[in-house]
Amino acid sequence: MSGIVGTIVEAWDELRIHRLRVLLALIGVAVAVTAITGVTAAVQMMNQAFKESADRQSGRSVTVDLYAWPTGAGGATASTEQQYAAEFDRIIERYGITYASRMTGSQLPFRFPSGTAMVNAQVVDPDYGVITRFRTTQGRWFTDADVQRFAPVAVVNEAFLATLGATDVSSHPTLLAGRDTQVRTEVIGVYKNSWPDEPPSAYLLYDHTTRWGLLDTAMGVQAPSFKVWVPPDLAKQLQPLLRRDLAAALPGTRVDASETFSGQNVLDGATRWVVLGIGGFSLLLGGLGLVNIALVTVRFRIREIGIRRSFGATSGRVFFGVLMESVVATVVAGVVGVVIAVAVIKNIPIEKVFGGRIEDVPPFPIAAAVTGMVCATAVGALAGLIPAIVAVRVKVIDAIRY
Amino acid sequence: MSLLELTDVTRSVRLPDDRVLHILRGITLSVDAGEHISVVGRSGTGKSTLLNILGLLDEPTSGDYLLEGTSVARLSSRRRAWLRGDDFGFVFQQFNLLPGRTALENVAAPLMYAHGKPFWRRFRLAASMLDRVGLGDRLDEMPDKLSGGEQQRVAIARALVRSPRVILADEPTGALDVDTGGDVMSLLDEIASQTGAALIAITHDLAVAARAQRHYRLAEGVLVPITLNAPGRITEWVGDVPTDRPDDAVAPAVL
Repeated sequence: MSGIVGTIVEAWDELRIHRLRVLLALIGVAVAVTAITGVTAAVQMMNQAFKESADRQSGRSVTVDLYAWPTGAGGATASTEQQYAAEFDRIIERYGITYASRMTGSQLPFRFPSGTAMVNAQVVDPDYGVITRFRTTQGRWFTDADVQRFAPVAVVNEAFLATLGATDVSSHPTLLAGRDTQVRTEVIGVYKNSWPDEPPSAYLLYDHTTRWGLLDTAMGVQAPSFKVWVPPDLAKQLQPLLRRDLAAALPGTRVDASETFSGQNVLDGATRWVVLGIGGFSLLLGGLGLVNIALVTVRFRIREIGIRRSFGATSGRVFFGVLMESVVATVVAGVVGVVIAVAVIKNIPIEKVFGGRIEDVPPFPIAAAVTGMVCATAVGALAGLIPAIVAVRVKVIDAIRY
Repeated sequence: MSLLELTDVTRSVRLPDDRVLHILRGITLSVDAGEHISVVGRSGTGKSTLLNILGLLDEPTSGDYLLEGTSVARLSSRRRAWLRGDDFGFVFQQFNLLPGRTALENVAAPLMYAHGKPFWRRFRLAASMLDRVGLGDRLDEMPDKLSGGEQQRVAIARALVRSPRVILADEPTGALDVDTGGDVMSLLDEIASQTGAALIAITHDLAVAARAQRHYRLAEGVLVPITLNAPGRITEWVGDVPTDRPDDAVAPAVL
C-alpha cells in the first residue's frame, strides 16, 4: 500500500516541483481533451436541436399517423365521429400507448373586433403538445384538465392575438367562435407565427369542438386522423396492428399508417470519426510534446535518480515513478480539459449557435468525458514509457557522479 | 558474526581498448556493528568503488561480500535495493540534496521507500531528525539557501532518518572548510555512536580519518590497515604496502 501511495506521491511531488515544464507540456494534452470532449458534446447538442426541430414538424421519434376515411365499400354506412373516437380509445388502451391525439382541421369563424374571420383551426388532444414538443411564446398548451372546462379554450398564433387586439394572454382574452352556435372561447396560449405574414390560426381541443358543435359538418362526417407516439423498437410491429384493428372495428373504412421521419443523428457515421480523428490527432501532438520534454527532463534528473536508488528505490519503483509522473500529469490535464469543455458547453449561447431553444438539453456527455480522460491517461502512459526506460537503464554509480 | 565482511574482493572493468583496469584487488575487511572505520587514499585509488560495493550500489568482480553472514551475490537486485534502503545511509561529498525540495522534504525522501509507519509518519520523523542535527528551525529552507555545513547536516539527517545499521560517508568534509568539516564529522560521529550504526568514512583528510577507531589506506586498489595519531599523521603501516608508487612510502601525510 505504502509503495503504491509512495509512487503516486513521488510523482505528484515531481510535478509540483517542475510545474512550469509540466504546465508547458500539458497545455497540448488539455487542449486536445477539451477538443474531444467539447466537440462531442456540442455535436450532441446540435443533434438534439435538429431532432427537436424535426419533432416539432412531425412528432417525436417514433410517431405513427393513422389516417381513416370512409370508402362505403360493402355497403357499410359511414361511422360517426363518436365511433371513430371510441375505437381509437380502445386501441390506445389495448396497446398501452401513453401519448396519442386525435387530429382534424377546419376553417372556423371567429368574431374579432374587426369582424368575423375564418381561421384555420387545428383540432387536437392535449397529448399533441407533448408529441410535437409544442412551444408557446405566451401562456401555455392544453392540459387534460382543460378538456373538462365549461367553455372552449384556444391556443393561437401571434397573428390571431394581434387581430384580437390583445397583447398578452394574462388578461384572459376571449372571443366568440362557431357558426350556428357561437361559444365564447378563451385564449390560453400563443405560439410563434410559422412565417412572417401567416394569417390567424388556432389550436382547439377535439372534445370541445364536438361538445359545442364547432366543426362544420355540412360536408358530412370528417374522419379524424390519429397521432400516436410509440417506442421506436415497436413502431414497425405496431403499424399493421393499429391499421388492422381500426379497419376491422369500423367497416367500410380505409386506414393508412405512416411513420414520421425521425431526426437524423448527425453524430453517426463519418462525422463522428472526423470529430474523434481531429481530437485524437491533437492528443497525439500533445503527447509528442510531453515525450520530448519528459526525455529532456530525465536527462537532467539522472543524478537525482541515482540518489533515490541509494535510498533504496528499486528499478521498478524508478520506472513506475517516472511513468506515473507522466500519467498523473496527463490525468490532471485531462481533468482540466474536461472542466474547460464543461464550462464552455454549459455557457454556450444555444439560441445563437443552434438557431433556437433546446427543450431537452442533453446532459453533458459523460462518455465523451470518459473517452477524453482515458485517451489522456493512455497518452501519458505512452509518453512516460520512453523516459522511464531511460531512467532505469542509468547505472546507479554513474548517476550519482553525474 | 561481523556486520559486513569482504573477503578477497576485486573489482575490475574492461576499458574501450580492451585492457582490464583493476580498481580493487584482494580487499578483505570486516566491520562490526557500531564500529567507526576510515579509509584514506589518493583520488582514483578506488575508495568510492569500495564504498559503492559496501553500499550495494556496485557488485564485486570476484570475492565474497557477506552481510550478517549472507552473501549479497545471491540477492536479487530488488532485495539489494531494499537492504540498501533499510540498512545503509549515504553521505556524499557534494551533499547530493534533491533540488527544489525543502530540507524537510529532502530528509523525508528516503522514507518514501519505507513501509508502514515510517512511510506515513515520514515528515514527523524527518523533522525530528533535522532537529537532532540542529536544523529544527530550517525545515522549510531550500538547499540553496543553506550554507555548505548546513547542507551537509541535512544530508547527514537524511542518511540517518531510516536508522541505518551502516553509514557510508564518501568524503563527507570534502566540500567544507576545515572548521565546518570538523563540526560535521563531530556530529556524524556523535549520532552514529548514539544510534549504534557502523560508520565507514572514506576521505583524503587524515585529520578526519584519525577520528575513526580503525584506519585503512587504499592504494592502487589494495587496502592496508594503518595507524594514525591524533593530528593525522600515519605512524605505522600494518601489512604490505604497495610499492608501485615511490611517493606512497615517503609522504603518507599528503594523501
